[in-house]
Amino acid sequence: MADSEKPENADKEPKSMQGSSEEQPPEPREDATRPNPKLEPTEQDEPEAAARREAPLAADAHSGHDDHGLAHTMPVWMLVAVLGALMGLTVLTVSVTSFDLGSEGNLVVAMVIATIKAALVITFFMHLLWDKKFHLILFVTAILFVVLFLSMSITDRGEYQHSIDLYQSTTAVTPGK
Amino acid sequence: MSESTSESAATTAHKGGHGAPTPAHGGHDAHGAHGHDGPHLAHHFDTYQQQFDAGKLGIWLFLLTEVLFFSGLFCAYTVYRGMHPEVFVYAHYFLNTTMGAINTCVLLISSLTAAWAVRNAQLAQRKLLVLNIIITIACACTFMVVKFFEYEHKFHDGLLPGPAFHPTEQVWELETFKHKHPEAAEYAEKLTKAAEAKEHAKAGAKPAAAEAEAAIIERPTEEQLEPLIKAGVIGPTAEDQTRPSKPRNAHVFFGIYFFMTGLHGIHVLGGIGVFVWLLLRANKGQFGPKYFGPIDYAALYWHLVDLIWIYLFPLLYLIH
Repeated sequence: MADSEKPENADKEPKSMQGSSEEQPPEPREDATRPNPKLEPTEQDEPEAAARREAPLAADAHSGHDDHGLAHTMPVWMLVAVLGALMGLTVLTVSVTSFDLGSEGNLVVAMVIATIKAALVITFFMHLLWDKKFHLILFVTAILFVVLFLSMSITDRGEYQHSIDLYQSTTAVTPGK
Repeated sequence: MSESTSESAATTAHKGGHGAPTPAHGGHDAHGAHGHDGPHLAHHFDTYQQQFDAGKLGIWLFLLTEVLFFSGLFCAYTVYRGMHPEVFVYAHYFLNTTMGAINTCVLLISSLTAAWAVRNAQLAQRKLLVLNIIITIACACTFMVVKFFEYEHKFHDGLLPGPAFHPTEQVWELETFKHKHPEAAEYAEKLTKAAEAKEHAKAGAKPAAAEAEAAIIERPTEEQLEPLIKAGVIGPTAEDQTRPSKPRNAHVFFGIYFFMTGLHGIHVLGGIGVFVWLLLRANKGQFGPKYFGPIDYAALYWHLVDLIWIYLFPLLYLIH
């Protein structure tokens, strides 16, 4: 039996067994003395049972390499290198303000630098590069909605620029205030 | 490292002891009868991996709501800056870029130590974990102290939102403005004197002085005019057309400023609370390779707080 030979998989085994027990008839679960059908596979459920026994091993092989248990571990040099890059970009974004890059140029450059910094933080500090891709999808979805929100608002604002100009010109002169 | 090897050996032995009887009982019995290999596995989870993944999904969902939460304020900022860019140019001279830059660096360092703490927890490096959490808390406190001095300065100078906005200094009198645009500052000074002299002249005194002042300021250069127009000190967006003044509705900037930095500051305070709690737990040696979720989740939250500041800093302090 795979289970008795590998006690280190014992903590993983109940998960797969419990998950599959939903599909089994309820009687064998109640009777502990009765042989567990999963441990002695019959002909009709053999392919499933075999797949179930493989699952924990496959999961072990997947998460086992250079990981320490449950998730990826960041090497220290990488963390320090990312901090160095973030500091360098901070210096850059402060120093670039002394140059005039056109009407919106400075804002664009500042936002590009901020986005590079944000990407570094998300990729390495938040270790999203090694995380489940589902978390990446979640985060990108949130960003997409923020972009949608902002772009709709900016477009809408552009529509009533005329009213702003009118307000500015009609209320401009307030002498003796 | 000896700490980590002994702990992992202990967990293996522990698991081995529990592992043997498991097949005889079947999956469900083992789950119900405290068949867990450690004190930190909640009863409703089968494995540490499942527990960790559930928590991780939870914290990511929370971070999404945080991103959307802050996006409302970023939207307010974007719309108001689009409508009244001069207000932002005017107001940014009142902000202390050095303090903002220091706070950026402090938060970045705390992000490093938070990420490092996750590694320490994963490798069961208890002393380093405690040290990194302490540095994270220290950086967060430094951030709040700097923030306190900034806020205090704003309160002192009357730079408050809404009807409380009564700046004690004109923008061209500020060192930040004078340093960047010396000619424009001088020119604004002259314009102010001329306007005052004009009022005196109306009252019947010193007409000669007014004429003299008017002669000096006859032909302003581009360097003298442009920064003042951009900041709404003179020109169509200025509050007072007869003399250099502040742009209209400048107080809205400080509403946005206090709201954005204030909400961010509340998040920093919350982060300090969480990390103090984790420090106490880490000190008891509760975290290891099987159970480091709380450190990881708190670090993720902390990185998001850092992320928001990465955008706030250039948007508020580095306006050109």
